[in-house]
Amino acid sequence: MRTRVAAALVTVLSLAAAAGEARADGDADDFKTSCANCHTIGGGRLVGPDLKDVEKRKDRAWLVGFVTDPTGVLASGDPYAQKLLAEANRVPMTPIAGMNAKRAGQLLDLVAAESKLEKSRFAGGAVPDRAFDAKNVPVGRDLYTGAAGLKGDGPACIGCHRVGDTGALGGGRLAPDLTDAVARLGGRKALSAWLSAPPTPTMKRLFPFEKALDPEREILPLVDFLQDAAARHAPSERAPARVAFVLLALGLAGALLVGMEIAWRRRFRGVRETLVKEPS
Amino acid sequence: MNATPLEVLLFGAAPYAALALFFVGTIVRYRTRPFTYSSLSTQFLENKRHFWAQVPFHYGVLTVLAGHLVAFLLPDAILWWNARPLRLYALEVTGLAAAALTLVGLVNIVVRRARHRMVRASTSAMDWVVYALLLVQVTSGMDLAVSKTWGSSWFASVVSPYLWSLAKFSPEPDRIAALPFVFKMHVVGLWAILGVFPFTRLVHVLVVPNPYLWRRPQVARWYGVRRQARA
Repeated sequence: MRTRVAAALVTVLSLAAAAGEARADGDADDFKTSCANCHTIGGGRLVGPDLKDVEKRKDRAWLVGFVTDPTGVLASGDPYAQKLLAEANRVPMTPIAGMNAKRAGQLLDLVAAESKLEKSRFAGGAVPDRAFDAKNVPVGRDLYTGAAGLKGDGPACIGCHRVGDTGALGGGRLAPDLTDAVARLGGRKALSAWLSAPPTPTMKRLFPFEKALDPEREILPLVDFLQDAAARHAPSERAPARVAFVLLALGLAGALLVGMEIAWRRRFRGVRETLVKEPS
Repeated sequence: MNATPLEVLLFGAAPYAALALFFVGTIVRYRTRPFTYSSLSTQFLENKRHFWAQVPFHYGVLTVLAGHLVAFLLPDAILWWNARPLRLYALEVTGLAAAALTLVGLVNIVVRRARHRMVRASTSAMDWVVYALLLVQVTSGMDLAVSKTWGSSWFASVVSPYLWSLAKFSPEPDRIAALPFVFKMHVVGLWAILGVFPFTRLVHVLVVPNPYLWRRPQVARWYGVRRQARA
């Protein structure tokens, strides 16, 4: 009987331990996909602040509220949130889909546990980083324009982003100008981390974990290309490119109208007009 | 980004309501009043401005719709084509030119209907609703094409998956929740047009005599009728 009770107890404890490990793994995966693109734990600042001992700087209730609804807290004018925004070159924290107080609490538990370690696994060691390499600029340009396809079949950047004067009519305007992305996001390493798991809603859909950019062959050449673009061009609206686009389209439309006039030049104009002329 | 309740309604539920109206409405109308399936052409009443209304409008709108359809059905083909900036620009310029033709035609349609007494008399309230919806749709589309370039690429990569989620009856409105307001207006405009479709002269799209596109012009002549009338 005692043996059976002891076996049952061991089983229950094992299951509880396994459940705890599974939750810890789940939280680590959540941090990796939702937070590590902008934050390290003990590895210094990326786009957002280093989270080591974050609860010594701000209380948990505030942190849970901010993680759950960063847009709302920023919009409320909260002074600490505004300070964080200023430190991040006014790049606001991206809301995380499905975030709630429970999940935020679990992530903060993970951050607290990792902060106690001499070196956290989220210290930023996995973020691709190296010095600027001019040889990679053309490689990055081809990835940007789509001339070279991305490994995960993600769409080329030019469809939504513009970069300096690349492309006769420039890049897309749906999303931000990337010419100053290296400086805006806080340096090469921060941009590399951001690109490794883009957090914005649209980018997250386009580049999910299984379609992540290749660190060596894609992220670093893109960062080189963007750094080179920033050095050579000031970000601009490139109004002439947009005007040229509109003028080309209007010119083509005008030519097509002329073509219609020519193609249907023998159409009836007068007979019907006379037949149905309104009484004066 | 999570879609708001309003976005879930507009981009998750409204499409199905619009499509249900479209299919049920067109089928019921065809079964009960088949001879109302017509464009109710007023060409015979006025033909000069009619040419500059109908011809640019139809060639323009068919080109634009074909572009949207290809980007929806074959997004990878569009992304492959756009992988060279010159090809991307050629596609975008062509698309915007087609939209401009559509707008030229639509403005001429509206002006003609408003200014010509006999044509105005044959214009129903639903016609004006259709023209208003089409004007909003064409201008919002052109605004997106110019202010949020390059639409062919981001349609293929962002909008097409959303439309496919609708087709698979697993709507994902959050896919487009982060897109600009004008784009959302454009999408809601589409549901509105599909919803009113069965109650308007737009039904002629479903019975379009396709050979009109390539057949030789038909010439109508009156032999002696006018002389007899004078006599």
